[in-house]
Parts: sequence; structure tokens; C-alpha cells
Amino acid sequence: MAYAYLFKYIIIGDTGVGKSCLLLQFTDKRFQPVHDLTIGVEFGARMITIDGKQIKLQIWDTAGQESFRSITRSYYRGAAGALLVYDITRRDTFNHLTTWLEDARQHSNSNMVIMLIGNKSDLESRREVKKEEGEAFAREHGLIFMETSAKTASNVEEAFINTAKEIYEKIQEGVFDINNEANGIKIGPQHPTTNSTLPGSQGGQQAGGGCC
Amino acid sequence: MNFFRGVMGGQAAGPQPSGAETIQKLCDRVASSTLLEDRRDAVRALKSLSKKYRMEVGTQAMDHLINILQTDRSDSEILGYSLDTLYNLICNDEEEEQDESEDESAQKQADDLGALFTEKFIQDPEHVTLLLTLLEEFDFHVRWPGVKLLTALLKNQGPQIQGIILVSPMGVSRLMDLLADSREVIRNDGLLLLQQLTKSNAAIQKIVAFENAFERLLDIITEEGSSDGGIVVEDCLLLLLNLLKNNSSNQNFFKEGSYIQRMKPWFEVGDDNSGWSAQKVTNLHLMLQLVRVMVSPVNSPGATASCQKSMFQCGLLQQLCTILMATGVPADILTETINTVSEVIRGSQVNQDYFASVNAPSTPPRPAIVVLLMSMVNERQPFVLRCAVLYCFQCFLYKNQKGQGEIVATLLPSTIDANSISAGQLLCGGLFSADSLSNWCASVALAHALQDNLTQKEQLLRVQLATSMGNPPVSLLQQCTNILSQGDKIIRRGSKVQTRVGLLMLLCTWISNCPIAVTHFLHNQENVPFLTAQISENLGEDERLVQGLCALLLGICIYYNDNSLENNTKEKLKQLIEKRIGKENFVEKLGFIAKHELYSRAAQKPQPVFSSPEQMLFDHEFTKLVKELEGVITKAVHKSSEEEKKEEEVKKTLEQHDNIVTQYKELIREQDAQIQELKEKVATMSSQNEQLQATLTQQLSQIQQHKDQYNILKLKLGKENQSQSNSQTDGSQVNGLQTEELTQLREQLEELRMQHAVLQKQLDNKDALINTLRSEAEQTADGSAGGSESTELLKELEALRSQVQSQSTEINQLNTERQELLRRAEAGSPDAVPCSDSSLDTNKMVELESRLSAQTTETQKLKEENKRLSQSQADLEQQLASVTSTVAILQTEKAQLQTEVQESKKEQDDLLMLLADQDQKILSLKQRLKSLGETVEDEDDLDARDPTDDEDEDEDDDED
Repeated sequence: MAYAYLFKYIIIGDTGVGKSCLLLQFTDKRFQPVHDLTIGVEFGARMITIDGKQIKLQIWDTAGQESFRSITRSYYRGAAGALLVYDITRRDTFNHLTTWLEDARQHSNSNMVIMLIGNKSDLESRREVKKEEGEAFAREHGLIFMETSAKTASNVEEAFINTAKEIYEKIQEGVFDINNEANGIKIGPQHPTTNSTLPGSQGGQQAGGGCC
Repeated sequence: MNFFRGVMGGQAAGPQPSGAETIQKLCDRVASSTLLEDRRDAVRALKSLSKKYRMEVGTQAMDHLINILQTDRSDSEILGYSLDTLYNLICNDEEEEQDESEDESAQKQADDLGALFTEKFIQDPEHVTLLLTLLEEFDFHVRWPGVKLLTALLKNQGPQIQGIILVSPMGVSRLMDLLADSREVIRNDGLLLLQQLTKSNAAIQKIVAFENAFERLLDIITEEGSSDGGIVVEDCLLLLLNLLKNNSSNQNFFKEGSYIQRMKPWFEVGDDNSGWSAQKVTNLHLMLQLVRVMVSPVNSPGATASCQKSMFQCGLLQQLCTILMATGVPADILTETINTVSEVIRGSQVNQDYFASVNAPSTPPRPAIVVLLMSMVNERQPFVLRCAVLYCFQCFLYKNQKGQGEIVATLLPSTIDANSISAGQLLCGGLFSADSLSNWCASVALAHALQDNLTQKEQLLRVQLATSMGNPPVSLLQQCTNILSQGDKIIRRGSKVQTRVGLLMLLCTWISNCPIAVTHFLHNQENVPFLTAQISENLGEDERLVQGLCALLLGICIYYNDNSLENNTKEKLKQLIEKRIGKENFVEKLGFIAKHELYSRAAQKPQPVFSSPEQMLFDHEFTKLVKELEGVITKAVHKSSEEEKKEEEVKKTLEQHDNIVTQYKELIREQDAQIQELKEKVATMSSQNEQLQATLTQQLSQIQQHKDQYNILKLKLGKENQSQSNSQTDGSQVNGLQTEELTQLREQLEELRMQHAVLQKQLDNKDALINTLRSEAEQTADGSAGGSESTELLKELEALRSQVQSQSTEINQLNTERQELLRRAEAGSPDAVPCSDSSLDTNKMVELESRLSAQTTETQKLKEENKRLSQSQADLEQQLASVTSTVAILQTEKAQLQTEVQESKKEQDDLLMLLADQDQKILSLKQRLKSLGETVEDEDDLDARDPTDDEDEDEDDDED
């Protein structure tokens, strides 16, 4: 349960692109082909390891429908990372990325790490948006890019973890103010844990001595 | 200022101007005065009048006041007055301070005013947004009244304002910032504001949680001293309840955020009961409710289970059990703690096991369960506490076969422990006590020990009770029915119905789904007549429920009857109903249960909650049983005996079918095994086949090699034969190496020939020289020259001759050398040299022929092998043939298409030609027309002109 850092994420993007499925795949390692529409916002959490440190991810999965847009905006400010998702089989979801990005940039803190995700990569036959287009969009707007499949779990783990890595690097560089929780980052309860390991090792040595 | 004083002075002395007039003047001042100070004073005056003349100020000044908020943003003082005034207009709470004596209508009027002005204020949603921006103002005079005003607005018109705040960007975030305000007043009023804001709005609750509300609230609670803290702690807890109640997403977040662990210290109240202030009781009550919200039976089972797990892991359950066993805890806290523990252990095996192991700190230590059951069957304990204990016991047994077994075991003769009070003893005591509430609770508790547990239902049949001296012991089941039938004879405290309902529920639960228990029940001859009598009697309202339950019990006796008692078979019991009660009557009575007014309330949730002891009639689990059985019993009773027979026949045939099916299944299973075996065999064989195929291909390639060798040899042989028969033929198809050798030899030969020619020439020269010398010598000999000269010449001649001799031997040597070389060349390629020694060739021929014969036999073998292989290839070739035929078809199709294309091209060409001709004709006609003097103005003509112009230009260019 103990963690070194806690990161808050949000998942945004048009309705039906698979945001909730990505979260479910990441937290529960399962896929639900028929998923109810998300009402407002849903919550999920998981622990990951980066650089040998335990990091807790708190993820808010938002509703993609236009009617919930004003509610979901409230979540931008407090997030350290955002997964901006589109559906590679529906061009319109790709075309709306600019609007999403503007919205996110306007309401979030400027350091928020945004990962662009082209989901449903398993449906290659129905693809409408080329991988190169996604890459180009990401390059143009300074985002990280990945294509994922919530169905086959391809790249799902990587998407969440790479975003965390980017945030972690930014912390190491001192870009984030980790003492301001409004940035979506929190330091774990017992950060320096070096002391706790000492008695154990001493005990081991003593035991070794007893043997001799 | 002067004006203002005038107004106030006038009020005191001269003719009283009406409130409305004064307010109108002040409003004008606020609206038109250019001086900030004037406006400020006017607003202040309005503020002071706003309580007394609420109606007037509200109707006349509200727009002006809102205007001030928009225009005088820079002056915090005037903003403060304006906000205060608006607060006075909108808030309804102030009234209670004035005097309580005021009648209700005045209060109602005030409420109406508040609602009216709220309506007016939020007519334009921008006003709420404006208020939100004002809350960002750090100045205390603005922020504090702003918070209060927004709280009052939310109280009056919650949903609408929640909607406005929700859609204004950062609206909720700004309000969350209030919790971080260093000024406690604002923080505390911020808590009240958030309480109103989060009321029944899941979206806002989630955003507030997202903005770290849990963290901050838990921090505040800790800072304020947890349960020992004041009303601020209470406010925090109320807000937490708002955020978590019925909001699964927030509950999940709370659990994932490890906040459950932070609740544990709340309950470290210890045994020093120095002070249980009212505030502390309230705080603890809310804290317990928070725990219950997380593990409520209405939550999804998975969520509740994981919360229960972490509550055990972090020691929260243990802490609660400590309170349970502590002394001096106020009764309502104890009751709520019991309820909380109930829900923390409900359906969770680990927690239930832990609970079973808890002991009370008494001497000797008693299990907590026993201590609690003692309270349940103790009349002097408060009703709610007894209900809580029953709930706790039910939750302990819920989905807990182990626990059920342990409770029933305390009643069994083999395991009974006479020295200490056991749960079973207490339950039996309760069952047969003179207190109806104890009867009911004990019955339900015992029923829960049997719920869905066939083993325990059968075990409990073994229980025998000792009766008065001399009489034989009686079984527990019989004792229950005895009490039922003799109900009227025993004097009881409380309601007789309650006792009987309790016992009937126990009996129904006990014998349902347990044919042995049914047989036991029917074995007593008195039971069935008693039930039929109860059902058929025409009794009053009070007894209707008992009648219904009796009908249910009889129905169970029919439905779960295994026909082992001859007098009480299914059929006989049904006939009895038909004769004594009547089917319709029976079903109607059965229906009384579910129609009872308290039935549906009990069906809603597991916790037994009753407003008074008399209402304690139904148990939640029992309502489920009724729901399950009502339909099937009705059906079973309505079914005629013939139908029953038919059904049984059908059942039998079904069984037969089942048997057949099982036979088939076995057969299929066997066949499956066989198939598996065969499959394995096929697999091994196919792998063998593959190996063989591989060796075959190897051999094929070997054969190919051999064939090649054979071909070469054949060729060689042919050449040799040819060279023998036809000497002139030169080796044309010789292997490359030999030709090379041959050419080398030829070159050598050529060289030698050249040398030979050179030497011949030299020889000729010498001969000529000799000739000339001879002739000279003859001349000299013929001439007058002396003999000495001729001898000299002769000598010279001799020398020359010897020279010639040596040269000729040299030539001979060279010739032999040449011969040798020629022979060597011939040996390397016998055909190269014509007419060589034939004996040598024949030798070689023999040798080769023998080799050839060996090869041919080998080839014969290989051919045979090949034949076999070619057979296997034939299939493949056939396939290939079919493919090629399809290819051919396709090709012919293609060819057709191509010819078609060709044709259409040709047609096109023809048409183009035709077109060109037509054009030519048109042109010529036009020219003729022109020459005849007609003016021709065609578009084509015009079009045609342009290019000609261009051409002209081109020509000009060319000329340049």
C-alpha cells in the first residue's frame, strides 16, 4: 500500500473511443465488449513501479458525451497526466482532437503530461486514421503517442506507464512543484524508507554470527 | 452623509416617512450617486433596514445591490455591505433568533420571502457566477458574507444553483479552496457551504472528492481532536457522509486512497469513560455511520467485500469490537457500534471468524457472541439494542456455514458443555421464555443458524429437551409446535401473535427443503389437525398473519414431502386441504403473508429496524423464503392427483431419458477416448510419413545425380564409339577439362611444327649453301686452281656435312619427341588424334563398358524406385493439371477480354477516323461557303481560329 508518489490522471476523448475499456483493462486486466455509457466521471486506481519506486495512479475516466463536458472540465486542473484518446476506426474522433487539446490546455496546469492514444488498433481492417497521422499530430503538439487496443491489451500497460515515466522525469527535473497538490502529484506517506531496512540487515548478521 | 443623517434623523423626530419611501430614496442614492462614499453609506443604511423591512428592501433594492457587486468591485467595504444585505434578504434562519413565540405563519411567510428573493437573484445565472468570482476576493469582508450568501442560496434553491456552479469552469474548485483558508470562520462556513453544495448531486460530490476533499477533511478532523473535537468535526463528518453515501465511485476512491486506515484512530476511545459529551456522542455516531456507508449491504458485493477486508487488515474491526466489549459506553453508541460491527462482518468469512473469537474481558472470559445474546433475551435491555444484537447475530451467520455449525453444535447432546452458558442455551431460553420479544428474536436467530444449510437442519432434529420430572424428553421441533398449539395457555408479556409468528417462521425455515424434517413434523399426529384448524377457522384481523403462516407451513409439508409416511402423503394432505379448507381458501390465506403491511418493509433491507416492539413481525431472510415458496406451493396445491400422476410419469420417463442420456454420454466418453487414441496414432504416423517423405526426396536427388553421371558417361561412350567408327569426327561434346587439355596439346603440337618448319628452312639454307659451295668447288676444280684449295673446301664441306648430320639427328629427335607428344595427346583425348592405336582404345572400351553395365544396373534399380515415386507424384500432377486447366480457362478469358479490348480499340480508331473525315468535310464545306461569300460564324470556326493565330506567331518566331 505504501507508495513513493501518487499521480492523478484523467482520460479524455470523444464518446465511444474506449476510455472506460482502457481503464478497465489497466486496472482489472479484462475487457468488456459492451460497456455502459460513463455518467460524469468514474474512478479507478492501480500501483505501478518506475525506477524501483512504487507509484500509485489515481485515474478519473470522464464521460465523452458533449453534455458532460462542463463537468469533466473540473477535473483538468488537478491532474498530472491526461490520456487523450481517439478511435482509429472513426476519423471524426481524430478530427476532434484539436478541440479536446485546446480545452485541456486551457483548464489544466501547464505542466500536465498529455499522452495521445489511438485506440482499437486490433481493428486494422476498419482503420480510418493512419498511424503516421497520429504521430504527426503528436509531434506537432508536443505529445507522446501510442496506438493501443483495450481489447487485446496491446500497449495499454505501456500507455499508462510511459505517461507516469514522463511525469516522473519532470519531477526529477524539478519542473513540477510536488508540494502543491493541485498539480495532481502527492508524495507518499513515508518517503525516505532507508532507515527501516537497517535493523533487518543487522539482525541477519547476528544470526549469521550465531551459526559460526 | 448629510442626506443620510437627515433620513435617519427624520425617522426619529418629524413625521415618520414610510419605510418604503426611505428605501426608495436610498435606492436612488445607490443608483445615481457618483461619489463612492455616498453609495457606500446608502448600502450600509439598506443593510440596517434589511431585516426589519425585508420585503421592501428585497423588492426595491435587490437589482441595485447586485449592480454594486458588478460595478464597485474595487471597494471591498461596499461589496461587504451589499453581500450582507442580500444575505439578510435571502436567508431564512435569522428569524429563529428573534422570538420563538411568533406563530408558524410568520415563519412560513419568511420562508416564502427567502424563496422569492432567491428566485429573483438567480433569474440571471450570471449573478451566481459573479458571486463565485467574488469568493476569490481574499478580503474577509467580501469572502465571508459571500460564503454565507451562497450557502443561503443553496439552501433555498439547491438543484438549480448546483447546476449553475457545475457548468461554471472551476466553480467547485474555487469553493474547495475555502477549506484551505487560514481564517477558521471562513473555513468552517466553507464546510457548511460544501455540505449544501454536495447534497444529492453525485457529479459535484465526485469533483469535490477529486479536489482532495477526503484528505483535507480527515486532516481537519485530526487537527480538531477527532471525536473529542467540536462542531467542526461534526460538520466535516456530515460532509464526508454526503460525499460517500450512495456514491460508489467516491467509495471506491475512498478505499483506494487508503482512507479507511485513517478511520481506525477515531475509535480508539479506550476504557476511560471520563467524558461522553453530547458532541462526542454525535461525532462518534457519525463516524460509525461512515464506516457503515462503506460496507452497506446495498453496495455491490465486491466493493463491500474489499472494504471489509481492509477494515480487518487495518485493525478497524478489532477496534470496534473493543468498544463493543468496553464498559460505560452510552447505549446508543453501543447500539450503533453493534450495527457497524454487524455490517463489517456480514458475509466475510475472515471477519466472521475473527468475531467468533472475540471474548469479553470478564472472568471467566466469555465469547462476545454469548454476551451479546444475553442482552438480546434480556427484557431490561433497550429495544434498539436487542434489535442490533439480533442483526449482529444474523450477520455473523450470513453465508457462514462454519458459524452455523458451531451455534447448532452447542445444542447437540454430544458437544454440550454443562459448565458454561452457551449460545444454544440462551437461544432455547429465549424461545421458551415468557417474553414474546425474546421468543421472536430467539426464533429468528435460530432460523438464521439453519438458513440454506441442510446439514444443520437435520442436526437440529436431534435436539431433545428435558421436561418436568417423570416425563420423557421431547424434541425441540415438537416443543416448538407444542407452544404454538398451546399458545393460549401460557401467560406472556407482549404480543401472543409475535411469539407465534416467530415460531412459525422458525418452523417454516427449518423444514423447507428438508424432507426428513417434514417427516419428523408430520410424525406427530396432532400437528396437521392443528394447522388445518388454524387455517380453516374464521378469525379476526390479528390472526390473519398466523393463518397465512400456518398455510405456508402446511404447504411446505406438501411440497417437500417424500411420501414416506403413509397417512400423510402429498396426495392425502392435498385431499385434506380440499375437504377441510378448500383450495381457494387455502391460497387466499397463504396470500395474507405477502399482503401484510410490514412485509414489504422487512423485505427492503437486512437490518431489523422497527419503530416499536409490536411491529417486530417479519424477518428479512424469511421474506425471501416466502417469495420463493408462495408460487410453487400454490401450484402444488392446485395440481390434481391425475396431473400429479402424469407428472410423476413424466418424471419417470424423464428419468429413463436421463438414464439413456447418461448411457449415451458414457458411450460418447468412450468414443472420445478412442478418438483421442486414434488421433495420437494419426499424429505419430503422419510424423513418420514426413520422415519417409524426406528420405524419399533425398533419394530422388541422389537418383538425379546418378542420372546426370550416367548421362555424362553415356555421352563419353558415344564419343568413343563415334571416334572409332568415324575417324574424321573431332570431339565436339567433350567435357570442358579435356578440351582444355586438348587445346594445350594442340598448341604444343603447333609449336613443334613451327620449330620443325624453322629447322627445315635452316636445312634448306644449308643445302643451298652446300650446293653453291659444290658448284664453286666444281668451278674451281674445273678451273686452274690448285688442289689445296679444293681440299680446304672439301674439309669445309665435311664439316658442314657433319653439321647437317647432327642437325638431322636433332630433327629426328624432335620428330620422335613430336610423335611422343602426339601420342600423349591422343591418350588424353583419344578422339583428338585420328588413327591412333586401336588396341589401346579397345582396352579402354572394355573398361568403360564394364563400368557402364554396372551403372545401368544401378540405374535400373533407381528407375524402379523412381517409378514408385512418380506414382505418388501423379496425384500432385493431377492437381497441377486441374490448376493449370483453370489457369488456361482464365487465360482464354483474358485473351477474349484482350481481343474485345482490341476490337473496341479498333472501333474507336475507326470512329476517330470517321470523325477526322467529318471534320475535313465540314472544313471544306465551310471554305466553299466562304468562297461563295457566305459568312460563317460557328463556334467551331472561332475556336479553330485561335490555334491558327498561334501557328502564325510560331511561324513568325521561326522566321526570326
